[in-house]
Amino acid sequence: MKVPDTKGNKINAIIRACRIITRMNQANPDTPKSEALYYQMLSSYYTRLRNAHDEGGFIAAHTVFFPSEILYAMDIVPMHTEMTTWMMALFLGEQAEILSAGAELGLVPEICSPHRGLAGAFALGALPRPDAMLWSNLICDNTAKSGELIMELTKCPGFFLDHPFQRSEAEDKYLVSELEDMIDFLEEKSGQKMDWDKLSEIVQKMDHQMELLREIGELRKAVPSPFPNRGFLQLLTVDYLCPGQPEAIAYLETLRDELAEKVREGKGAVSPERFRLMTLFVPPMYLMGFLEKIGQEYGAVSVVEPLFTRWAEGKLDPSRPLESVARKTAMIPERRSMYGPLSQEVLQDLIDCAEQYKVDGAVYWAFMGCRHTCATVKLFKDLLNEVDVPVMTIDCDIVDPTINSEAEIREKMEQFFEMLEDR
Amino acid sequence: MVIDVTQTTAGQLKTLGRFRQINDTFPRTEQIREHKNQGKKVFGWLCTYVPEEIIHAAGILPVRVTGYSQEMELEDGNAYLYINNCSFSRSCLQMGLRGEYEFLDGMVAGSTCDGARRLFDLWQHYIKTPFYHILTVPRKYTEKAHGLYYQQVVQFKEHLEEFLSQKIADEQLRHSIEVYNQARVLLKQLYELRKADTPPISGAETMEVLNTSFHMPKETFNQWLKELLDELGKSSNRHQGRARLMVVGSVMNNPEFIKSIEAQRGLVVTDELCTSTRYWSDPVVLAEGQSPVKAISRRYLSNFPCARMVPSDERFRRILNLVKEFKVDGVVSQIIRYCVPYAHDLPLLRDRLKDIGVPMLALDVEYGTSGSGQIQTRVQAFLEMLEARKR
Amino acid sequence: MRALGVDIGSLTTKAVILDSDRLIASIVIETSDESEQSARAAIGEVLKQAGLRQDNGVFIVATGVGGKDVSLSQQSKSLTTCLARGIYRFFPSVRMSIDMGAESSTIIKINERGRLNDWVNQDKCAAGTGIFLQQMAKLMQMPLDEMARLSFQAKSRAGITSTCAVFAESEVISHVHREPPTPKEDIIAGIYYSVVSRIISLCKRIGIERDVAVTGGVARNSGLVKILEDELGFGVLVPEEPQLVAALGAAVVAQESIDKGIGR
Repeated sequence: MKVPDTKGNKINAIIRACRIITRMNQANPDTPKSEALYYQMLSSYYTRLRNAHDEGGFIAAHTVFFPSEILYAMDIVPMHTEMTTWMMALFLGEQAEILSAGAELGLVPEICSPHRGLAGAFALGALPRPDAMLWSNLICDNTAKSGELIMELTKCPGFFLDHPFQRSEAEDKYLVSELEDMIDFLEEKSGQKMDWDKLSEIVQKMDHQMELLREIGELRKAVPSPFPNRGFLQLLTVDYLCPGQPEAIAYLETLRDELAEKVREGKGAVSPERFRLMTLFVPPMYLMGFLEKIGQEYGAVSVVEPLFTRWAEGKLDPSRPLESVARKTAMIPERRSMYGPLSQEVLQDLIDCAEQYKVDGAVYWAFMGCRHTCATVKLFKDLLNEVDVPVMTIDCDIVDPTINSEAEIREKMEQFFEMLEDR
Repeated sequence: MVIDVTQTTAGQLKTLGRFRQINDTFPRTEQIREHKNQGKKVFGWLCTYVPEEIIHAAGILPVRVTGYSQEMELEDGNAYLYINNCSFSRSCLQMGLRGEYEFLDGMVAGSTCDGARRLFDLWQHYIKTPFYHILTVPRKYTEKAHGLYYQQVVQFKEHLEEFLSQKIADEQLRHSIEVYNQARVLLKQLYELRKADTPPISGAETMEVLNTSFHMPKETFNQWLKELLDELGKSSNRHQGRARLMVVGSVMNNPEFIKSIEAQRGLVVTDELCTSTRYWSDPVVLAEGQSPVKAISRRYLSNFPCARMVPSDERFRRILNLVKEFKVDGVVSQIIRYCVPYAHDLPLLRDRLKDIGVPMLALDVEYGTSGSGQIQTRVQAFLEMLEARKR
Repeated sequence: MRALGVDIGSLTTKAVILDSDRLIASIVIETSDESEQSARAAIGEVLKQAGLRQDNGVFIVATGVGGKDVSLSQQSKSLTTCLARGIYRFFPSVRMSIDMGAESSTIIKINERGRLNDWVNQDKCAAGTGIFLQQMAKLMQMPLDEMARLSFQAKSRAGITSTCAVFAESEVISHVHREPPTPKEDIIAGIYYSVVSRIISLCKRIGIERDVAVTGGVARNSGLVKILEDELGFGVLVPEEPQLVAALGAAVVAQESIDKGIGR
């Protein structure tokens, strides 16, 4: 396979978009401060990535749910492949180009679109050339299988991080030993050493970060709920890109304070609040603005996303940083519900969420590229119906805007609101 | 007598009929019924990373959970697993929900791929089977991975012992290894025959044998296979086709699919399927004084790999070896829609085959397909291309 | 005040008028290119039939394709809500209703008060709809009702497994040209079964609950309904004019609005 030219990579598009949004936000006095901090965080992440090679830095590309704490502690520049590809595609409107480049490589449509796109983006030279490719089987077969083609496309070395499926002492040990092997690999390839003190510090911050996310989750229980629909992706991005990083903490602390203030004042994200929704899986990225709009129109707000924003309880131990990084991966909301055998605990949590968050209805975004989340559509629906929460399922694609139109989603949402109202 | 591969030799191979009988009646076979009638247990297992010998050593009949070896309506499968899980997992669940597997006393799976693990999740939730177990199967071959998998097999054995309130002795395990290794040796002999320019057995017939290998007691299977090999040794049947083909890709146990290729005179001589070569290829190597569980666990993790394993090089290396050994002219890849591990490997495998000058036909299929009109058209074009290359 | 319901389908537009619970007029016309135009025509016709004028105290609720944009209507409701209201009016014991229209199928569940509880639809795929059956009739070269009649004589069902209308068509062709050809009635039964199987799979997604009703134009196909009953293992309820259910539901919604005093 031909190594693509990456000089014309499109990271700048993300930085430019952040700049434009920041400018627009500055012009609007009502924009919360957290919003500015969020885009500052994005901007600094991508500026670092853009400048990495000029400044002699080492770029490690990695798949989603990857412990990039390790990379930060080694002063390696992380590149979250899914987030970067699709944020870039969204800002440039180049989803189609990226997906067709993936198809040209021979990736069939049944492979999930975000991962078809990764390979496509690398083949187009739209992403900087990584110095190492890191990937893992957390969370699915697609993440597990993404790495090798990218290694071949970019002619870079790679490391596969094997995540054990279940949790036991032996499995936890195995994951730690995998992390050790990965550190050895990275030290060898980058010539950079692991800074254990720095890792401890990041772990400590990560602990705080998770606490902030839990607090935000608690605040969203308020009636009316203070957190807007469009914020969902932001809550995910923080951990995807900047786990245990000061920018992330600054954003989340400010956000928490703002939400607490709104709760005190009894202000909701939508007014009046008529429908409190549970979101299952993720809505299409390109529809976030639309969902915000329709939410405002109908007084509908997503109050909880059990599969994506519910962090497990527990503390990390900075004196045992590697074990803590391993432990943290088990506390990630997505890990709890989408990896490992489906436990009673996860099913119970779904029901608890419905009750604690006073949910009126749930929307299940059945992303056709994601086999294991769709496999639970029926099961979750059965469970939620038992506690009298109706569930609407929408077949969708989370990155390909040609699959769902706003009009179609609007029709379904309106139908759903009509039904909730009618009940 | 050299016969065209399109001609069915079923009538001529006397010992093939009883294999067919099993395939036609599975899962309600006489063997399974008999075993149950004796008050003995039957366990289902889901994927080749589940160590069958452990189940066998406990006196339980291990039966591989599959769909029927043909395409079926998937009303329940579609409703419960949604339409984007592979049709193999939907077919298995469909049969489970319909009570076709009600005789099972246990269900054992491995964390092999998303389809399999979600099938296991839903099976556990909606179908009542007295015993469930899922093994964490590492995706690597490192010593640490072997260590973890060994520990997983030990855990499985202990769980099973607890369920049965009885210990599984090393002696029993050694015996089971022998029985299973014998099947592996015999199946290898069968494949050896297919290396000939004009093999005495067709690809479709071989699939009929293989499809029973994991659906019936191994002891009887070994006996039957020995008799088939004897018959083949004496038989003067010789199959000839336009090209020698290898089938690779997702789980497939329908002889009709192979038949539809051979009907166009594409002689299938080998494969890389978990229902065929990958099922029997590596024996358990038990060193003097070694713990049988250790030997078993090593074999199952280092066996001819599924596309789930990382790196894929080992799988590719073995495929390329088979291409050479069996003098393969072309490779037919049949990947079930939504079988993601194999789909991801496709571009890489195509490149490697191209490097050694072997063309590949990539088919998207549904599990159990017998080769529809569209597939036949594509196979025909592929065979014509292979023929043209020879000239 | 009279309640008028209009349902704009992709092939036909239906309108009914209720006079406090009593159906006094109903009409089915072909849908033209414009929803607005079809609605206008159907409303005009049904009013004429009832001997009423539009400004003469009529409250109109529209549903179906483009139901929201009908300028003559005072209110619009989604198809699912109208199906629920309509079928409850016919059969209060119904908990699940299968609407098979020209281009899409919708399955609803309703509670004991006739309120919509859940629904699922199939709108992205032609297989399993009225238009698919029409295509098949063309392929078999016989009218729809003859097909239905013939299907009762089937001794077995031809295997048609493709989940895609295009491939299903090629399977049917191969059955026709097979040597010897598969009997026509078996092919028809096979076609019906493939539709039924898809519908049942959709029903199972939201959980089958009795009584079950079948509505929409396809409900008039007795052969298909028979196979549906065989597969479900029990009988289903089919209203006398199954294609009018959504329009009737819209009229029921209109009546409710009148009763609440919204129409005054």
